[in-house]
Amino acid sequence: MRSLGRYLLMRTLLTIPMIFVLVTMVFIILRVMPGDPVKASIRPGAPQEYIDEIRHSLGLDKPLYVQYGEYLWDLLHFDLGTTLSPVRGQSVAEQIWQHFPATLELSLAAMLVTAVVGIGLGAYAAHHRRSLADYSLRLYGIVIYSIPVFWLGLMFQLVFGVWLGWLPIAGRISSLSAAPEHITGLYTVDSILTHNWPALKDSVLHLIMPAMTLGLYLSGVFVRLTRSNMLQVLKMDFVTAARARGIPERTVVYRHALKNALIPIITMLGLQFALLLAGAVLTESTFSWPGLGRFLVERITYRDFPSIQGTVVVFALLVASVSLLVDILYAWIDPRIRY
Amino acid sequence: MKTNQKTKKLAEEPTSLLGRLLRGASWYGAEWYWTATGAVILAIIILVTIFAPVLSPYDPIVTVGGPFERPGGGQVVLLAPKDSGITSPEGLKVAVYYNTTASVVAEDYGMTPRPYQVDKDLFEKVRAGEAQAVLISARDAAEALQKNPDFVQVGEPFGPRFWLGTDNLGRDILSRLIWGARAVLAVAILSALFSAAVGIPLGLLSGFFGGWMDRILSLVMDSIYSFPGLILAIAVAAMLGTGVINIAIAISVVYIPTYFRMTRSQVLSIKEELYVEAARALGAKQREILGMYIFPNVVPTLVVVFSLNVADAILTEAGLAFLGLGLQPPTPDWGFDLNKGKAYLPRGYWWPITFPGLMITLVALGFSLLGEGLGEILNPRLTEE
Repeated sequence: MRSLGRYLLMRTLLTIPMIFVLVTMVFIILRVMPGDPVKASIRPGAPQEYIDEIRHSLGLDKPLYVQYGEYLWDLLHFDLGTTLSPVRGQSVAEQIWQHFPATLELSLAAMLVTAVVGIGLGAYAAHHRRSLADYSLRLYGIVIYSIPVFWLGLMFQLVFGVWLGWLPIAGRISSLSAAPEHITGLYTVDSILTHNWPALKDSVLHLIMPAMTLGLYLSGVFVRLTRSNMLQVLKMDFVTAARARGIPERTVVYRHALKNALIPIITMLGLQFALLLAGAVLTESTFSWPGLGRFLVERITYRDFPSIQGTVVVFALLVASVSLLVDILYAWIDPRIRY
Repeated sequence: MKTNQKTKKLAEEPTSLLGRLLRGASWYGAEWYWTATGAVILAIIILVTIFAPVLSPYDPIVTVGGPFERPGGGQVVLLAPKDSGITSPEGLKVAVYYNTTASVVAEDYGMTPRPYQVDKDLFEKVRAGEAQAVLISARDAAEALQKNPDFVQVGEPFGPRFWLGTDNLGRDILSRLIWGARAVLAVAILSALFSAAVGIPLGLLSGFFGGWMDRILSLVMDSIYSFPGLILAIAVAAMLGTGVINIAIAISVVYIPTYFRMTRSQVLSIKEELYVEAARALGAKQREILGMYIFPNVVPTLVVVFSLNVADAILTEAGLAFLGLGLQPPTPDWGFDLNKGKAYLPRGYWWPITFPGLMITLVALGFSLLGEGLGEILNPRLTEE
């Protein structure tokens, strides 16, 4: 246990420079690189005093090193500033907090799809190695990765939304009045907690297509990972031993081997989190899903620079904390990793 | 047949390039076919980009479209009597106002214009049998249809003239696809070259010399690598603005760490090889070791990385363009065309969103297959069975 504690401490400390680098990168992109965010955010022809006033309120008139210091200081206090447009003076942190549950709900549902499809098909491919199914699934891994995730979403919308009319093509729920009482912000969870069954049905229907889109997009990577991990595990002695004891092949493959192959896959789940977030931005835009990604894109059209900066920083923090979490989980599951 | 081929392979070395290539198939199996498929797809795409002016039937940025509901000014709409059963403009005799866009455009659609003075009622002329349908500007169409409920709009975006239909502005989709290949490939390859030009030298130096610079660079690169690439590109593109070079830079920032990490890890392992040790013992300078012994052995891996990187860059470019951060309109850009087509999806207009997406997939797939296949062929040690 002592070694686990030490590992946790070390790993957590290692996250700090990573966050520092990412946060600095955001600063460089948004403040040091060419392009004046304030001028872009307001209508042309605005009086110079007004521009100066905004620049002053954002601290953009100070030297860069002072700006950088203030930026880091504000972040330490979780102060992400206030919005510029379309409405001036709203708290960016609050806006992000409002949009976060939608992204979380979509991501969790997509990960469920990915896990079921990716791991299931990957294990199947490994089981039937060098068969037609194996080659097709390997090809699937490449093809699905080459399909733009938003186009996959558009095609789903066309087929299941427009042609068949089975599923709604936009939003999280039919109308805001139908939304369940706010507890966690996840509509599906909230409607279960409040026993609001019509809202549950409505939000699940809205969730299916975006979750399938994002989930299938990520599944390709997992088919490949699961397959190669399974192939390694299937060569191990304990598998041979299990076979020798006369345990049915299906049980050996899908219970004994898969369980062991899953451990490295959990790490991969962490690494693919960045892919998930990037995919979520596009999926949210496709399905008008009111999450963080759509918030970011919407604010880019308004040139609302504090919101852009805040959202990107939050994405960076999310990535760093998920990778930390996954490593801790990994160390906890697999004691060999605690070096 | 198969055994015969195998003995032949051992017996004589095929000297022609084609012979050697074909022999590759029996050596490498599935991977060879992947590479070949990728190469064929790319060869076709590259030919298309080269011969775009010849292949493209229309100017991609000019409204040439058939009578298809098109928002914006300057377009024409074909209105026909409800019971006429007219579905295509080909060969129609249409009533138009004298000296208007409609009268000029009618012949382009293969229609015969019958011009009238502006004070005449075109619909009456059709009812009187002087023409089969009315061709008027899209702006006036809604009002005219209200006044003449016995007429309907002929929504025919396809026809022998427009194989893949026309988009919301009446531009030929096929032409936009063909010209779009140029723009997309230019951005993707340019960005991959930018990333390679920064990432490879840094990776070489970092891996070869090590020390504190290596540690810092690795930390920075690993951090960027862990960050969602598209979001990084969005931030850069939002600040830099649109245009081929700006978008290429925005995308290249994302992939510098890929080259850096790959080069560095390769250098670290090659550095320990015996032949490097031998060169050092023979008194080779650091520069020579890096340039003549290490770098050439990193190249095969980098070829694979480059190919996969271009595939990624195409998808990232499409994603940026879909979010409205692509090339400057009206430049044909597949991602942006999907963005525009999305608005017409609820009405069931499937063609503006289907074909550009297919093209993105096809080109990205071509580079992916090529990269994957080459990876397995050039680095068989990396292949996990």
